[in-house]
Parts: sequence; structure tokens; C-alpha cells
Amino acid sequence: MSDEGDPPPERAVGLVAGTEDSTPLLFRVAVAEDAYLQLDDVVLTRREVPGFGTVSTAGVVTQVRARHEGASFGSDTFLIADGVLPAHLQELAEVTTTRVEPECYIPPRPGTLALRASGAERDQALYFDQMATKVPIGMGRDGEPIFVNLDFVDGSRGAHVSVSGISGVATKTSFALFLLHSLFTSGVLGRRQLTTRALIFSVKGEDLLFLDQPNVRLDDELRSSYAALGLPAKPFGSVGFFAPPLPGDQTGRPNVVGRTAGVGAFWWTLAEFCRGELLSYVFADVEDERQQYTIVVHQVASRLKQDAQPAGRDGAVSINRRQARSWKDLVDLIDDLLNDEATQADWAGRVTGQGTINAFLRRLRSSVRPLTPILRGDLTETASRTIDTTNHQVTVIDLNTLPERAQRFVVGVTIAAETARKEKAGPGGLLFTMLDELNKYAPREGSSPIKDLLLDIAERGRSLGIILIGAQQTASEVARRIVSNSSIKVVGRLDPAEAGRPEYGFLPPSQRQRATLAKPGAMFVSQPEIPVPLAIQFPFPAWATRLSECATSPGSAPTSDTDGVTRRDVFDRLPTLDPDDDFEGGIEPPPPF
Amino acid sequence: MRFYVDGWDPSYGTSMEIDDTAETVVAVRTDIEVATDQWAPIPVRALRQPSATVFVDGVRRIDARVWIDEPNHDHPERPAADAGLGLCASYGAGAVCCCSGRGAHFLEPRIRRGSFTIGSQAAPVKTWAGTYDARATALQESRGPAWSLSAALQTKLTELELQVAVDAREQLGAHGLGRGDELLVLDGPVRGRAHLSRVLGVIKSHQTAYLAPDLHRMVGSLQPRERTPVFLLDTAWDRYTWYLRLPCPPGHAWAGVVRIECGTTIGVSEVLAYANLSQTVLPRFASEEYKDSRAPQNLYPVAGLERELRRRLGHAGLLYRALRQAAAAA
Repeated sequence: MSDEGDPPPERAVGLVAGTEDSTPLLFRVAVAEDAYLQLDDVVLTRREVPGFGTVSTAGVVTQVRARHEGASFGSDTFLIADGVLPAHLQELAEVTTTRVEPECYIPPRPGTLALRASGAERDQALYFDQMATKVPIGMGRDGEPIFVNLDFVDGSRGAHVSVSGISGVATKTSFALFLLHSLFTSGVLGRRQLTTRALIFSVKGEDLLFLDQPNVRLDDELRSSYAALGLPAKPFGSVGFFAPPLPGDQTGRPNVVGRTAGVGAFWWTLAEFCRGELLSYVFADVEDERQQYTIVVHQVASRLKQDAQPAGRDGAVSINRRQARSWKDLVDLIDDLLNDEATQADWAGRVTGQGTINAFLRRLRSSVRPLTPILRGDLTETASRTIDTTNHQVTVIDLNTLPERAQRFVVGVTIAAETARKEKAGPGGLLFTMLDELNKYAPREGSSPIKDLLLDIAERGRSLGIILIGAQQTASEVARRIVSNSSIKVVGRLDPAEAGRPEYGFLPPSQRQRATLAKPGAMFVSQPEIPVPLAIQFPFPAWATRLSECATSPGSAPTSDTDGVTRRDVFDRLPTLDPDDDFEGGIEPPPPF
Repeated sequence: MRFYVDGWDPSYGTSMEIDDTAETVVAVRTDIEVATDQWAPIPVRALRQPSATVFVDGVRRIDARVWIDEPNHDHPERPAADAGLGLCASYGAGAVCCCSGRGAHFLEPRIRRGSFTIGSQAAPVKTWAGTYDARATALQESRGPAWSLSAALQTKLTELELQVAVDAREQLGAHGLGRGDELLVLDGPVRGRAHLSRVLGVIKSHQTAYLAPDLHRMVGSLQPRERTPVFLLDTAWDRYTWYLRLPCPPGHAWAGVVRIECGTTIGVSEVLAYANLSQTVLPRFASEEYKDSRAPQNLYPVAGLERELRRRLGHAGLLYRALRQAAAAA
């Protein structure tokens, strides 16, 4: 090396190629014979510009191709391999520019040395140097950490995270949980850490009921991959679990199978239902909104608020001296009130036809079975009945045993309540709301009370401190305003047909193609500051994701800590699991009904 | 030196054949391998491929025709009254080594640029794309200036090919080969290169019937990979030669037939060994019809080498531009 400015030779990976146009935004590098470039590698070139100084153009590799120069036919390959036809093997890497510093958009000149960026250069190329607070979200392909800017997560400059991918292989939920883990444990939240909460709706199995348990597969290797990201490899520290009550059970036990302790049963009393005008969330389907009977829904809801009197201490109500202790009782009562000539005008509205009333009643009656477990007037009040995010850092609401209509009701009512609470409390802390199957709650077409709520959060939540982490199989089926308001867009494995939709326009063609074969744990993360989505690999969860992964051995590690439900290790009674036992299912979740 | 670049297409008027197409045959001896009355096709024998087979070839391209001013010696201050024709040409020679270790690979080629002139004015032409070295050429009155220049270019190319062939031998040793069984295959006659050892020349086209009519007919009856017995050919120079049919689809009587030459500085037994070896080696490199318009005679390594050499000569349009700029500045 002649002078000190020369790069070490091992970082030189090739020369800028001139066989195709080199542009400021896209250029190609002919890879040297003894070097390699893989997708996502960060490459840097420098050029002296008169009157401007050294302009460095950095980018990430978005495609690499190798070919036999000198071969004209596919069959020439065999001749070349046979040593008959001479040819030269050449690799060309396509580099998409991420950053030009200082801003002078000139093409890298063919023949210029291309370097593999590392350390500060890599940070600059990927804008990590400009991020005031960086949240680690995984490892890049080059084995170095990748970050997102907290400003685009916490609402300072942007908010909301949208995670898309095929169910089962895209690991959407795992990534969202890892992001929460990173936010809570990396210290990026500073003083807000104490007031920041996460609300998680679990719709698939009981996977999320073990977030506070260490994973049996947590070994030194996994610990070191967490350490490389600057994160502790430990389960979530403070988690509250809620599940609906067991149907038909009069003691208010939660309907869970795998985890039997530390889970609180939640329900709403009929008195709360009437007082809070929750009836509209019973009709939260998109198709409900298109029907005439919505007018009846609003009318009945306001009559319930006005006329229903609390009866007894279990949350039952009475209207016109008739008592309702269960959701079925209340539905019957409403039915009678709507069909009684004396009350019909008041309860249905003066001009409402009998057909509309009947349509409303049909729809109301069909809610009896799904909603009976969670709308109660017959259970003894407990302290943990009400879903409240203030007591734990993370609150998990298990919905997997509930039918879809009840899930909508719980999601709608909970989000509405939390939004109202957050509005009152002001924007001090943050509330991360993680919702899977967002396309179900905020579909692209139609409107529903839940969709309205979610749209409100997407647009206004940033200032309220409510951050939506939405996951869906298909972003093309989610309300456009929610997707477009998400600052961080994350994509796991995609269905090939889905990958072609315009919602994934932020992915360059090569990444779209790669997304169709992404492995579990691999995601593409797009954030506003970086023009190219970054491929990341996040580590396997350090917390158990099923009963068989719970590492707790008898006599150690207490579980839930503050809600007074449990003090003893819930897994004491279980046989010790063989760590090698790779039993996939854990305990089977009950079939949906 | 003032010169002008002719606006005509550089290839105009230079497409004549340089090869001595009508050779005068002095003598043909056909009893080298077998008695003349026992001539019969010789089938291929199972022989080992040499550890390395090196193919040498050269290409030439006329980049521009130029006119060079003859200064007016009597009145140097006056503009020139006469101009001489010149050729600015790029030419190169290279080698492909087909060895078991590295497959087929190029050995470093030699590329030259020359300014071939007939007049008294011979000076290198310097352009930003390279320098055309001065090559003063004698005019052959009977053939005319264009032929003379083209022949001079061909001579230079042949010299370059010879250098490359010698170099190739040395380079083989450098990359661990050269255990003594390597074979050097030249594209064209071995004339002037016959002193190199283990060299075969492959002639693709046949202008002269060297053999007596009945022996000549036998060539048409060769099966793929079969050859005629070796015969000695004496024209202006003498060499051993034989015909070999390369594998090809059935066609006319001479389809796929090449003539192979070998110098006379070696003994007959060695020549016969080379003749047998050629039956094993050359068919392996024979090209397919749909890939090469000169198949099968244009061997794959030679075709690849020519492609590479043409590329290494540089972009013709760019060199033409450079020459015009140099002419304007002169």
C-alpha cells in the first residue's frame, strides 16, 4: 500500500462494471476472481469530483449473477466443463444505491474500485449514523446488526408497523414479539420504559401464553446471537394473561388448556355492556354495516344505556322490572321489547319497519352462542376480570377459543377502552397494540366499528402514543390507509401471487422474488430513511412459544408476579420434559367451534 | 507525417486470399507409411489424450486505410503532390491451453497495431487508443500496393503466432504442465514453424488435389476419425501430411475432412505416432454444425480463441475514431 488512504486489499471486492450503464442509483460491480458479493452486502465506491471533493456512493447488493463469457449456447457449458471451449467465468453484482455522501448524484465510474463497507462506512450507507435512537431488529446477511430508527416507531416522526407474510412460515408473530422484546430490553425507550405497555391479541392457539417462560432451546449459541444485538436472552419480565371464562362454568375459571395458572378470566358484565353502549361491537362485521338495521342497533344501544338498571352484585341488569342474568336473557328481553307494541316505537325508532326489526333480531339472536361466555351477569366479580394494560408491561389476551364474532367483540371493545384511557392519560408512555389477521378487522372494502377504530389509531394514534403492530397474510386486503400510515413495513415469506401486488412496491424485484422463498426468521424491513428494504434474520425466541418449550424446572423461576393470582410455579406438577423432545404441537389447542 | 484516413470502409478491397492457393507440387511420396498399392483408411486407435493440447491462432483487422503525403522534396514549402497508400491494422495472436487441470483457458495473447506503408514515409501513428507501429513495406510490382500491404500484415501476424507458440510452451511449464506429451496445434500450415517440436498444423480447406486420382478418391471413403496413410509433400517446402475425417453428420464426400501437417525435422516413426494421436485428439474438439458455420473443421478452442482475440483487438469504431482524430491533429 503506497499511502494510508488505500483500503486493505481484503475489502476490495471488484471494480465498477461498464458493460451496462452505471447510474447514480443503480450500478454494477464486476466481482474479482478471489472475492464474492452476496445479496444484501453493503458496497462502497468513491470518486473524486472536481470542486466537490470525494463523493462516496454506497448501496446494497440486490442481485448477483454469474455467467460464462464466451459461451453462446447453453450446451457450451458442457464443452467448457469438458475443457474443450475456453470461457471466462464472471460474476456481476447489481448494487442499488442507498446513500450518496455528500449529495452529488454522479454515476460511479466503470473501473472504480468497489469496497465491502464495514464499520462506520456500513453505518453511514444504511443511515444508522443518522439515527438518534436505534432499535436492533436482527442481523443482516453480513452478520452485523440491523436497526430501525425509534423515531419512526414511537410516533416522533412516524409510527406503526405492518408485518405481512404467509401463515406458519413467515414468523410474523415471532418477529413482532422480538421487536417488542427489543424495544423493552434494549433501553431505547429511556424513561418512557416504565410507562410503555404492549397489548397483544392472540388468535392462534395458546402460543403466546408462555411469553414469561424461558425457552428450553435457549443455549449458548442463541444467547450469543442475542448478545450480538445487545439484547438479553430472556423471556418477557412482566406479562399479564387473560382468557375468556370456561363456557358453562359458574366459577369464572379461564378457558385455557396448556397454562392453567397465572391466567385471569375476563368478561364484561351486562351492566357494563348497557352502560358502555357496547351493542355496536356485537354487530362489528362489515356486512352488518350495509344493512338497514344499524339504525336499530344504535337505537337499542342508547335505550339500554338509559333504561337498564344494575341488578344484584354480579353485573345483571333489569329493564322494566325484568331481570337478565345472561346474554341470552338480555337478547330475549330485547326481543320482547321490540315486539311489544307499547315499547316498539321507543326501542326500534318510530319509522322502522317490522322487516328491519326482524333482521336485527335474527342477527342479534345469532350472537347468543358466541357471546354468552364473555357477557355475564352470573359470575362473582374478581379483581382480574377487567382487561387492563396498566398492571403489566405486556398484556396478552387469548382469543383462540372464541368464535370469530366474539373475537371481534373483544378486540373492538378492548381497543376502544384502551384508546379512551390513553386519550385521557395523555401521550406520556406508549401503547403497542399487536393484532394478527388485521385484514379481518380492517378489511380493504366496507366499514365496521372496529375498522373505524383502527383507522383512527393509524391516523391519530401517533400523537396519542398508540402504536399499531398489525400482522396479516395479505397486505393487499388490509385498509389502504392503515398500510400507508405504517412507517415500518416488514415482509416475511410471501405467496408469489401476493408478492406481485402493488402493496409490495417498496420491495425491489429481486427482493420480491426472494420473499417467496424466505425462510422462517428471515424478514425484509422497509423504513422511511433507507431506500432499500434490508434483509434481516432475527434470533429464535428466548421465551417459550409452546408448553413443550417451557424450560422451568421445579422450584425455580416464579411466574406471574403482581396480580395476586398465582405465586407458585405452575409447571411443578408437570413431568420434566426431555429437552431433545421436539414435540411440535405441545398440547393441542381445542378445535374452533 | 501528414496522413488522411480514407472514408471508405476499411475492409474494402482487402478481401483477397493471401494463402498460396495454387501451389506448384514438386513431388508427392505416398509410400511413407504403407506401400502405395496398399493404401487403405486407417482406423482410430485407443490412445491417451495428451496432458495439454495448445491451440494457437491469430486474427487481423484493418482499422483504416490511410493516405500518407509524400513531401515535395524539391519545394518543401509547397503542399504535397503525391500520397502513398497505407493500412492501419490491429492484429493479435493467442493460445488456448486445454489441459485436464484447468479446463480450456486462454494464455496471455499478444496484440499489436501496425501502420503498414509503402512510401518513403514510415512513422508510428500515435492515437489516444494506442500506437500503430511503423511497418515499411516493399511494393510487389506484379501484385499492386493493396496486396503488398495485406501480405505484409499477414507476414507480421504469422511472426506473432510463432512467438505466441514459443511462449505457450514456456507458459505450460509455468503452470505445472509440460511433462513432455503436450501437443501444439496451429491453425494453418506449419511453414516456418516446423522447427517447434510436437506441432501439428490443421488445414481446413482444400484447394489442391495432391494425391493421384485413385488415392484422392479414397479420402472420400474415410469414416469419421479415420485417416489416410501419411504422405510426404514437397512444394516450395516439404512436410508430412495426411487427411483425417472429423466426426460430422453424413454429407458430401469431403465433409469434415481436414489435412494435417507435420514438419520433416523428425523421424518417420514419430510422425506416425503424431498421425495416430491426431485421430484421438482432434475429433474431441470438432464443432457442431448449428454452433459454427465452419463445423466441424473449425475446432471449438480455435473458435473461442478467435472470438476472444477479436474482442481483445478493441472496438473497431473506436479505433477508427481515434485514427481520424490523430489524422486531424497531424
